[in-house]
Parts: sequence; C-alpha cells; structure tokens
Amino acid sequence: MPLAPEVADALRDAYRAEWARVVATLIRVTGDWDVAEEAAAGAFERAALTWPRDGIPRNAGAWLTTAARNLALDRLRRRGVEAEKVKEWLMDERLEGRADGPPDPAEVAASGGLAGPAGVAGAAGSAGGEPAWDDRLRLVFTCAHPALPMEARVALTLRTVGGLDTVEIARAFHVPAATMAQRIVRAKRKIRNAGIPYRVPAADQLPERLGGVLAVLYLVANEGYLASHGDDLQRLDLAAEAIRLTRLLVALVPDAAEARALLALLLLQHARSAARVDADGDLVPLGEQDRTAWDAAEIREGLALVDGFRGDPPGTYGLQAEIQAVHARAATEADTDWRAIADRYTRLAQFADSPFVELNRAIADGMAHGPRQGLVELAGLEASGRLAGYHLLPAAQAEFLRRAGQPDAAAERYREALALARTAPERRFLERRLAELGR
Amino acid sequence: MQYALFYAEGVDALPYVPADDNVGDWVDDIEARGISEYGERLRPEQDATTVRVRGGEVLVTDGPFTESKESIGGFDIIDVRDLDEAIEVASKHPVAAFGRVEVRPFMQWHDAEPGARIVPDGFAEEPEPGRRRYLMLVVSDPAGERDESGDDDPEAWVAEMDARGARLFGDVLHPPADATMVRRRRGEVLVSDGPFSEAKEWIAGFDLLEVRDLAEAIEVAAKHPMARGGTIELRPLWPFDEHEDHVERAEREAADRDRRLEPAAADALAGAAL
Repeated sequence: MPLAPEVADALRDAYRAEWARVVATLIRVTGDWDVAEEAAAGAFERAALTWPRDGIPRNAGAWLTTAARNLALDRLRRRGVEAEKVKEWLMDERLEGRADGPPDPAEVAASGGLAGPAGVAGAAGSAGGEPAWDDRLRLVFTCAHPALPMEARVALTLRTVGGLDTVEIARAFHVPAATMAQRIVRAKRKIRNAGIPYRVPAADQLPERLGGVLAVLYLVANEGYLASHGDDLQRLDLAAEAIRLTRLLVALVPDAAEARALLALLLLQHARSAARVDADGDLVPLGEQDRTAWDAAEIREGLALVDGFRGDPPGTYGLQAEIQAVHARAATEADTDWRAIADRYTRLAQFADSPFVELNRAIADGMAHGPRQGLVELAGLEASGRLAGYHLLPAAQAEFLRRAGQPDAAAERYREALALARTAPERRFLERRLAELGR
Repeated sequence: MQYALFYAEGVDALPYVPADDNVGDWVDDIEARGISEYGERLRPEQDATTVRVRGGEVLVTDGPFTESKESIGGFDIIDVRDLDEAIEVASKHPVAAFGRVEVRPFMQWHDAEPGARIVPDGFAEEPEPGRRRYLMLVVSDPAGERDESGDDDPEAWVAEMDARGARLFGDVLHPPADATMVRRRRGEVLVSDGPFSEAKEWIAGFDLLEVRDLAEAIEVAAKHPMARGGTIELRPLWPFDEHEDHVERAEREAADRDRRLEPAAADALAGAAL
C-alpha cells in the first residue's frame, strides 16, 4: 500500500533530521555501533508501519529515539552475554528519571515527547560527569578521528552521521559496494580496538580536531562539486550532504569561525550547480553561466556568512569563501573584481604551498591584468613541473592564448588538455572550444 | 586501556638533539599520573638478533627484522583512559619531536579477567644477578613461508617459559591497522593511521625474557611457534638514568652506539647447540 504523501514526507523529513541524533544517542547508551545503527534503522521501519495507522507523532525525534532504544534493549537482552551492558543501560534510564525503563513510543507520542529537540550545543545532557555536549557532536568527532584513514573518515561520516546507505556512498565514490562496506567495517573495528573515544575532544585538542572534521566535510563536498572521474560531472547528493553536515556543525559549535567559513564556501559553490551544466550535462564555464540560474537563497545565506567574518583574519576556508563571494556579487565575468580574487589566492598560498592555488592565482592575474600576464605566470608553473599531467593547466593556457588572438597555439593546448581530462563533460567542453577555434 | 608505545626514527626523522631531551620530565609526569606500567630503552639495531625456524632448522642473523629507520629504539606500556589520552602522552615524549611514536593497543581477550594487567603485580624492575633481559618481538610475516611442523598454539610455550622463569610477561597486540602514529613537528601534534602495507612484516606482540645469555634467549625464541611462521627479534635492554644530563650521556655512549656488543648470532647459536 503506498504511503499517504504527508506520511511519506514526514518520514523523509524525520530521517534527514533525526537519523544522526538517534544513532548518536544509541551509540552513547549501548556503546555498540552496530546495535545502534540496526536499532535506528528498525525504528524508522517501525515508523513506516505505524505512522500511517496511528498518525505522525508531534515529536518525531523522541518517538524514534525511544523506539530505537527499545529495539536495542531487546537485542541486547536476547544476546544474553550482554547482561552487563543491559544493566548499564537500565542505570542510564534511572539517572534520566525513568526507573520503569523506556516508555512505549505510543505514550511518548501521546504526551508530546520526552525531550524537546536539543538543537544547540549543551542542550542534551549525558548521564555521566562529562560536559553536556550534543550526542551528534561526539559522533562527528569520532567518525573524523585522525587515527582513521582519511577515506574511512569520509565513508563513516556519510554513513553514520549522514545516514547514507553504504551502496549510495560506494556509488558516489565509484568503488564496489563490498569495498565500501569493508572500509566502514574496518573503521568501526579500529574505533573499538584502538580505543577511539566517543566524546568531544578536550579543549586543548578541540581546535585541531575541529579542523580535521572540516577537512572531511570539505573533501565530501569537493567530491560532489567536481567528480574526480566518471561521467557525472556533479554529484549533487554529496555536496548537499556536506552542506547539511556543516550546517549541523555550525549549529553545534556556533563560535567556530572556520566552520561558518566552510559553510559559506560550500553554499556559494553549490549555488552555481544548476548553471554549471547545460541540458546535455556539459560544463558551462563561469564566464558563460546564466547567473540568474544561480540559487538566490544559497547565495544570500553564503554572502551573509561572509559579511559576518569578524576578528581573526580568515583562514583557508574563509579566503576561499571570499573568492566565491566576489564571483557571486559580480553581474558578469568582466565585472568581476579579479584583483581581489588574486589577492585571496596570494594569501591562500601562505597557508599551503599548493600548485593548484598557484594555478588559480595565475588565472586571476591573467583576468585582472590581461592574458599576457596570465600566460607568463602559467609558463612559470609549467616549468616547475608541479602540475604535470593536470588538464586544467593546458586548458587555462589555451583560454588565454585564445583571448590573446593566437588560435593555433590555443588549439594545440586544447588538444593537450583533452588528452588529460578525466570526465566526459570536461572532454566535451574542450572539444567544443577546439571546434569553435576552427583549427 | 593498555597500550604499547614503540619509539622509532621513522622515514621523516630529524636529528636527535641530546640537549632537548626531556625524557626525565616525561617519565615523572606519567608516573605522577599513575599511567606508567613499564618501559625501557633498547640497544641499537645492530645488537638485534633475529631468529627463524624453517624446515626444522634454527636460522639466526645479526640485525633487526626491519629497515633501520623503522627499528624500535625503546618502548613503554601505559594504561590510560582511551586513545586520545594515549596520543597526548605519546606526543609529549621527546622521540615524537624528532622521530615517531607508534601507539598499539593490546589485544582485549574476551575471557580475560576484569582488570587483568600486562605487567604483573610484583614485577621486579631489575633482573636477578647473573641474568639478562631481552625484549622478544614476535613478528608476523603474512607473505612468508610457513614451517608447519609443530603446534601453533603459544600456550604451551608460555607455560614452559613461565615455569622456567625465562618469560616475565608478554601479550598480543592489535594489528597495525589499529595502530596510530604520533609525531610532533614545529609544535604541532601530527596524528595518522599507520603507513602500512598488508604484506610487510609487523610486530604481532612481545614478551620480556630474563635469561642467562643470548644463547638461551635464542633457544627460548626458537621454541616459540611464531619462529616457524614469522620472525622473532631479540633486543637487549639498554637501561639509562632518564634524569641524567643527556648531552654527557650521549657523548659517553657514542662509542658503543655503532658497534655490536652482543656475541655474533652464529657464535651464540654454535654455543647453544653444544
């Protein structure tokens, strides 16, 4: 029987909004990631069965958490060997003032919910003497722990915090589902074996670890922003997931400037998604994009965040967000303040000695001071050999050569870029450019 | 949780500066916190002896099982709350500033008694007179050939060596996939998962031996089941006073640092065969 649309919507919204909270709470209480994930999944299945019949509970989060707690408790009891954990569990219930054990989800729904939505840091307390961090924040820091390999951090964050299916994640990263499943299993095993704690790091480790979490989210978004290989240029899901998780982090740690900077960057990049590809799925360069197709709400939110940068000079995400803000404010490519962009790339280069930053600075300088200047800087970068094999270097040279009125040299560079390009839309774009030159 | 900390130079090592060595403060700190179980420096790698048994033959060689930069220069056993505390402790060790510290959790056995210790109560810090201590590293070699003769269960070996007083303690570690590498560079703590390939040899566990001499250590090592499937590395301990002036100590030790003080492995083996 198909679900009524309002129930289907409520279930989907609840999944997006509550998955991380339910899993995070269950992991804290049971200490067992697999039991927590299975119980959370079971709670959503139960909701799909009972909500159409009994109505949508007023506090879906509390309903789902309670249902998941009951499922986890059943599971632990059935195992028998876990008697000690069940005892801890009951202890936890008592500390929370419910000596009779978890109430029935139906009662929770009827009474309007047990605990209101936590929302911000510190609202959801834990039973022990720990600071009252939101459980989801513990989960975020554990999934992005630096003792885990980076690819495992990304996978685990998307799976456990993002609630994405292992198969979805595997598809997004172009690896077999079995490989992705094993990556996640190994990560969970290391969390248990190596004693990776389930908590928000102490104050002295917090800034560094927060940087690690942001690096994971940045990686997820970039994977979505520009697919590193394959035929889909954009995987909107990943970029949107990264925005959703970064938004969560900003809500949980409101004074983390770099988290807000990352959110601004991701929003301003994502705002251009619809305009970046044409109807055939082909790449549209920034200068030719229909700027009215940019997402106005995301631009507004991103620009407001950039305008709110205060205090310390911006870090790497802040500088990148400022670059995107310059683009977002320009009516056309020609109107763009390329000097401001070149300045931000110069400052970015002080954080990391990256040939990609140098490439972008050379392009910005070329746009600000003319193609000749751009070609001189690109020639220097080419001579360094640091971008050997990277298609965007000859593509940028081709672009400036074309603008400088040297079509033959431009065509040669386009061919070079074409041989190196990794996605089909990028190849089609370069082929089109080449055809336009008539060479 | 109990962890082993292994100290090595690693691939990106900086020079050791004795004047910067503050290991005495580090030891004072972990002892004051009650998280220190036991730790010791090891003689340099040229004093290592590796033992393998293949086709029923005991094969011994001078030197470590691994390349020099990864050869362990010392170890500690700590008992801390979780990996983050282990990382914090490891990052403050002087070796983290020029080499690397590998944090390896001990295997948590399901049938272990609650509160079971790696280092037993009443463990004597000094060996009996006339006896010497060796760290016996049990090295797994997944790609290596196996000698199938004999039992693979180390329990009988443990029982025999404990009864003889040759084994003081020891345990199995979680594999390298569960290891964490800690370094400190320019004041920043760098944490990463281990740079391991699956096929390389890796330390699966260790025992502390107390024996008469290298010959007895080789005999004990050769009886371990892992000598047939993997490699055993014997490392003499190299105790030092962690509170002394490290510049003076380094000067005094300079002469001994580059030569083998242990008997040649072949001579020790010949002696053991008699």
